[in-house]
Amino acid sequence: MENIAVADQVDQSSHPSSFLSKYVWSQDHKVIAIQYSITAILVGLIALILSGIMRLQLGFPNEFSFIDPSSYLQFVTMHGMIMVIYLLTALLLGGFGNYLIPLMIGARDMVFPYLNMLSYWTYLLSVLVLVSSFFVSGGPSGAGWTLYPPQAILSGTPGADAGILLMLISLAIFIVAFTMGGLNYVSTILQARAKGMTLMRMPLTIWGIFIATILGLLAFPALLVSAIMMIFDKVVGTSFFMPAILSLGETLDHSGGSPILFQHLFWFFGHPEVYIVALPAFGMVSDVIAVHARKNIFGYRMMVWAIVAIGGLSFVVWAHHMYVSGMNPYFGFFFATTTLIIAIPTALKVYNWLLTLWRGNIHLTVPMLFAIGFIFTFTHGGLTGLMLGNVVIDLPLSDTFFVVAHFHMVMGVSPVMVLFAAIYHWFPLLTGRFLNKALGKFHFWGTFLGTYAIYLPMHYLGFLGVPRRYFAMGETDFIPESAQTLNAGITVSAIIVGLVQLVFIVNLIWSTFKGKKSGRNPWQATSLEWQTAQFPPGHGNWGEHVPQVHRWAYDYSIPQVKDDFIPQNYSPAEVEYLSRDQNNSREER
Amino acid sequence: MQILKALQIKPWLAQDQETESFSLVPNREKAASTALKFFLAVITVIFFLFTITFLQRTQSYDFQALSGEPWLPFTNASILWQNSIYLIMASISIILAKKSADLLSFKGVFISLTTTALFTVLFIGGQVQVWQQLNQSGFYIYANPANSYYFLLTGMHALHIVAGVLVFIRCIWLFSLDLSYQRLASRLKLCARYWHFLLFIWLFLFFLLTGDAQTFKTIALFCGF
Repeated sequence: MENIAVADQVDQSSHPSSFLSKYVWSQDHKVIAIQYSITAILVGLIALILSGIMRLQLGFPNEFSFIDPSSYLQFVTMHGMIMVIYLLTALLLGGFGNYLIPLMIGARDMVFPYLNMLSYWTYLLSVLVLVSSFFVSGGPSGAGWTLYPPQAILSGTPGADAGILLMLISLAIFIVAFTMGGLNYVSTILQARAKGMTLMRMPLTIWGIFIATILGLLAFPALLVSAIMMIFDKVVGTSFFMPAILSLGETLDHSGGSPILFQHLFWFFGHPEVYIVALPAFGMVSDVIAVHARKNIFGYRMMVWAIVAIGGLSFVVWAHHMYVSGMNPYFGFFFATTTLIIAIPTALKVYNWLLTLWRGNIHLTVPMLFAIGFIFTFTHGGLTGLMLGNVVIDLPLSDTFFVVAHFHMVMGVSPVMVLFAAIYHWFPLLTGRFLNKALGKFHFWGTFLGTYAIYLPMHYLGFLGVPRRYFAMGETDFIPESAQTLNAGITVSAIIVGLVQLVFIVNLIWSTFKGKKSGRNPWQATSLEWQTAQFPPGHGNWGEHVPQVHRWAYDYSIPQVKDDFIPQNYSPAEVEYLSRDQNNSREER
Repeated sequence: MQILKALQIKPWLAQDQETESFSLVPNREKAASTALKFFLAVITVIFFLFTITFLQRTQSYDFQALSGEPWLPFTNASILWQNSIYLIMASISIILAKKSADLLSFKGVFISLTTTALFTVLFIGGQVQVWQQLNQSGFYIYANPANSYYFLLTGMHALHIVAGVLVFIRCIWLFSLDLSYQRLASRLKLCARYWHFLLFIWLFLFFLLTGDAQTFKTIALFCGF
């Protein structure tokens, strides 16, 4: 059998020469990663603007005539769906996964570059289909990001005609794109690692992306199945999810379908989705913390096991999103228990990040600030998750702003903090330049303090019983007027945080061309992506020979070694040691 | 369990010689094989979820099974048996095509690939014929959940077959470019695995969708619906 080593195939994929083949129809994983990232960030900005509009309505009701109850629901829906799927999933896996997997495991590219390119263009198509729903009659779907039937496809719900169809079709296309990308990621990690790169020598970033991709491959089918069945209900008139129903005084032809079935399918995808976003973030933050604390990650094996355990457990907790839908009490008990069990590996990771920092040589660089910020926001969001995981606490708090605050802290703010940490950390690898430090610090403090100003008070609104997804509260007995003042305060904070992100965008553009030159391996990291022949890495990544790996990715501050880091591709013979005198003087210091 | 052993390695300790010289010798065939395994897992999850929802629905009051009584379409499922035989033949001939490629026999490759294509197209045509017959006899997709599931599941299966055919055509096209029997054989091996898998899914769907009310009741009882 012919045995073509992927590692030796650099010359087979001819070097792209024209502008089109280099930057548009590119099969290079780095270009595809940047295409994914730019698209995701742009569509994310749309979702950010939508959230700003929602906040304007909540903070200052009846002040803005362009927001009516229908458009408010449409903004809620599109904001949620875009942020979770089209920004976070695409940026973490399509962007960072694509960029980092081949570089960190010592491969020349993904194993199927053409499929990889196809994955991006399919993703772009899904984004365009979704965004097109803003321009069709009736506008985009306003069913809430969970798209629960029957109301999602019944007249009376905003966007119940073309909007919901475009949403479902766009999701189906996205899943096809993700599957193409995902198959590439797992095959590359399993089959194209450099010599010496055993599974347990892989950086945690790769572990996070690897397990998250497997979760995605197994969980997205549930969304696909529910989307297809809902399209059938809407277009062909089947009754998979539609019960016998009277709508606007008219008896519809549906009968016997189960809306709860949709909820089960949706959350069988929806809960793993939380970890599809969280696990790559866990991995990347581990690496950022280790590099900038100049210390090996504490409990590497436990960190890997925790990622695997969280991935496995994420498939048996889905119904904790459905306590108020009604279920057998024993099921509630089961799902509450499994949900609380997830806290164990998750807490273990938090402790390990803290213990990595403990007595580390902490450099408060911008990536490190974001990483430490993440530990705060994630712990905060995780703790409220413990509350909501219990049936008795969830019931009164369900559908209030407490839930909104919880999930924004845990899967909105936290992964975004890691994304920022990662962008500041790996930006020199992309461009050979640093992002501006002063603007970065301003961006960090604005974002970190700003998000607390938004979400801490939101928990209190939830305790008061302020419901989510309401266009306006109207007059109620149980919500005091001060809640409105709080809402206005949250809106002001949200607008400020939104504006602070513009500083980041400006920084990104300015530093790409004018930023301070970083030189090779500016953070003195050990992992392979910083050890390429050409810097920033060129087509094929490794020049003539792919690297050989001799150690794990966390050899920092090893006693008696001259530098405080040993790159993964250094053989024992290449490591320089201090002489006894130098070592003594270093110890005295 | 190699993976459990791998997860116990302590990478911060000096590695023994065996781990140090670890090499994957990666090649495209292995990578494609891994990707196919994951893809088959994805398809399995899709049909598994459809099946769960179907089994639950079989117990609803408005579910009318498609076989059991003389007037129901699949009480006599001869046309589905015929389609099954087409797919079995396609599955066998694709193995023969792979074997012919191993033996460097152009004639063998040509005949067996043509047979595979023919029987696969016959299967799809047969399925379309069943859909038309159902429609003509008033078993419309929206008329009953059993009909809805029949159209949905066989449609999804046919869609996967069509996707397979596209890959199959690509294999032939690539072979016509480089005439490498070795590469053709390695590609056909994966195609064959996909064909067998879809045959298995079809036989499962055949059994599932043509069950009578009593069979569904027993399955539902067993599954706890």
